Amino acid sequence: MNALIVTAVLGVMMMFSSIVLKRNSAIRMLAIVGLLFTFIANVLDSSGVHFFSINIKGMMHFDQFAYFFISISIFCTFIFFLLSAKEMERIGVNYSEYFALIFFILCGIILVASFTSLLILFLGIEIISIPLYILTGSDKKNLKSNEASLKYFLLGAFSTGIMLMGIALFYGSTGSFSVENSVVIAATTSPMLLIGILLLLFSMSFKVSAAPFHFWAPDVYDGAPTVFTSFMATIVKAAAFIAFIRLFSLAFTPLQDRWQLIVAVIIALTLFVGNITAVFQQSVKRMLAYSSIAQSGFMLMALLAFNTFSVEGILLYIVAYSISTMGIFSVLVKMKDSSLEEFNGFAKHQPVLAVALTVFLLSLAGIPLTAGFLSKFYMLKAVMHSGNFLWLIIFAVLMAAVSVYYYFRIIQVMFFKESDSNTIIVSTSFKWLLSALAIIIIVLGVYPQLLLQFLV
Amino acid sequence: MGVTAILFWILSSLALLSAIMIVVSKNPVHSVLWLILVFFAISGHYLLLNAQFLAIVNIIVYAGAIMVLFLYVLMLIDLKKIVDPQRSLWIKLVGVATGCCLLLVLIAALSKADQTTALTQTIGGNIGLVENLGKILFSEYLVPFEISSILFLSAMVGAVVIGKK
Amino acid sequence: MNEVPLTHILVLSTALFFIGMFGLFTRRNMITILMSVELILNSVNINFVAFNKYLFPEKLDGVFFVLFIIAIAAAEAALAIAIIINLYRNHQSIDVDDATEMKF
Repeated sequence: MNALIVTAVLGVMMMFSSIVLKRNSAIRMLAIVGLLFTFIANVLDSSGVHFFSINIKGMMHFDQFAYFFISISIFCTFIFFLLSAKEMERIGVNYSEYFALIFFILCGIILVASFTSLLILFLGIEIISIPLYILTGSDKKNLKSNEASLKYFLLGAFSTGIMLMGIALFYGSTGSFSVENSVVIAATTSPMLLIGILLLLFSMSFKVSAAPFHFWAPDVYDGAPTVFTSFMATIVKAAAFIAFIRLFSLAFTPLQDRWQLIVAVIIALTLFVGNITAVFQQSVKRMLAYSSIAQSGFMLMALLAFNTFSVEGILLYIVAYSISTMGIFSVLVKMKDSSLEEFNGFAKHQPVLAVALTVFLLSLAGIPLTAGFLSKFYMLKAVMHSGNFLWLIIFAVLMAAVSVYYYFRIIQVMFFKESDSNTIIVSTSFKWLLSALAIIIIVLGVYPQLLLQFLV
Repeated sequence: MGVTAILFWILSSLALLSAIMIVVSKNPVHSVLWLILVFFAISGHYLLLNAQFLAIVNIIVYAGAIMVLFLYVLMLIDLKKIVDPQRSLWIKLVGVATGCCLLLVLIAALSKADQTTALTQTIGGNIGLVENLGKILFSEYLVPFEISSILFLSAMVGAVVIGKK
Repeated sequence: MNEVPLTHILVLSTALFFIGMFGLFTRRNMITILMSVELILNSVNINFVAFNKYLFPEKLDGVFFVLFIIAIAAAEAALAIAIIINLYRNHQSIDVDDATEMKF
């Protein structure tokens, strides 16, 4: 609860900060300090120091997992600010408003990580979505950005409609909005409940961009300003996953055998579409969009099997995936355009950055000794433990092998192609930061317990 | 057949007819007007269901605010250019067919549900009035109420960020 | 209202839901698409109120959900209008199929 209120207040503060603070660097500093404070508040909250005592009437429940995920998303946002907050200046004049919107999104993330009532889930998803529509369309002069925003809005509203229908049917068959097993068990035979679960499944698949509901993602990720794409494709997506998993693990486990096969098919489709389409992309930004779809296939495996492996795996996956993707995007932002040719001979000009990028790409591809490998391994192990779905595991490994091709294409271009065009200018601190992130990826790939020990 | 049943049938047919007219009429201004009619019909349903406050809110917010906004936008935009963008007949037929299939499945499942046979008399006539709603809204539903203010703030910021030249 | 069985109301709302879906997929005018979205939300609202009044009349959960949906739909509509106007400024059209900058 601490973090929720602190982020909301910080959002309002950022909104008004441009009246007082005239320089962009001061606004940025305020945001970073505020985020640090939020992180501390959340950690204190999880260890029992509550700033506020509010009777939430059982609509939210902050368990250790929720606290841990909130900490992770605040931490990732912190990294995002450090890496790319400066680039937001180039998008438009509303610099402080962008920060305000990001803080509001964090509010929504906290809600969806801790809901126990479907009303809070609905509000949380809307609070995440509405600022995202704006951030997607924030490059107002750019037609692509406008279109992406509109497309995102229409499909988002459509999936919200489906979700609300699902909630209505859930309410009709159980008589409450609370997400509990006991509520569901009382109404297992009701066909209305089954349709409700199906509609909720579809709408949440929309939000996490799982195939066949993924078609909005490439266009939106491609059209949005690159800075915000990196935020959307990582932290926000992770939050959508947590909401998805929380909803289904809390409420719908009694009916697991009814929806498990559908989820398995969705995962297989997602892996297939994401990986195969990514191979044919020429733009790195679009390639990363499809790769994020492919990665969500792996993350969805946590939905298929709830056990300790999947809980640890999804958190590790979120950290590994978010850090790697944000790292790649932060370099991509600084380039002229996002074509593959921009990376020609990158290693010659920026050897440090090239090595860091290589680590990120290897992690995304799931090469051993990186966090990406270990998280994929955890996911597969979780599915293995749940018994069936051996075909899915084999298929997933196959698709991971396909993914190696398009990730390695960037590495190959960076190291083995010549280019005479002048390259990007980066500060020393940026280099240090990116190297530190690369080291985090490798360390987590060897000692995952460094992260997972906090999840007791 | 009592008065409520007759009213129900009239309102339902009105709602369905106007809803179909929204999606088939070529002029968007006509669509807006039909939509307003749908909202009035739905408000009538709320009245029949003893949710008086909701009926009024529905008319004020939807017919009063949102639809006026739509009409303004349609006025701002050059209408001559936008009339009659329609998709091909083929896509429409496929859409109707798949839609009807889904509809049938859903209706079949809904009518089989055992709850739907239950007929509970609604308690009292004044449960949907402002007083009762307000008491519960500001006690049981206080947290979501406060949270939704964050949403409005962000929508407000967004409308300014996007709409400002 | 005990003369009308719940099923009838559910059929009505489901029919409205699918008319909205149909409009969403077949129309190309952005404003009409937006209206279809509103129609979908309204059909859901009827469902909530009907379930509340017929099956669980002792609490007002469904009615409150509807209140929140109405409020949020208003916020969303305002935002959508802002997006559409911005697009119109750059594009001089509100036909979705004209917005093809990204199709390839």
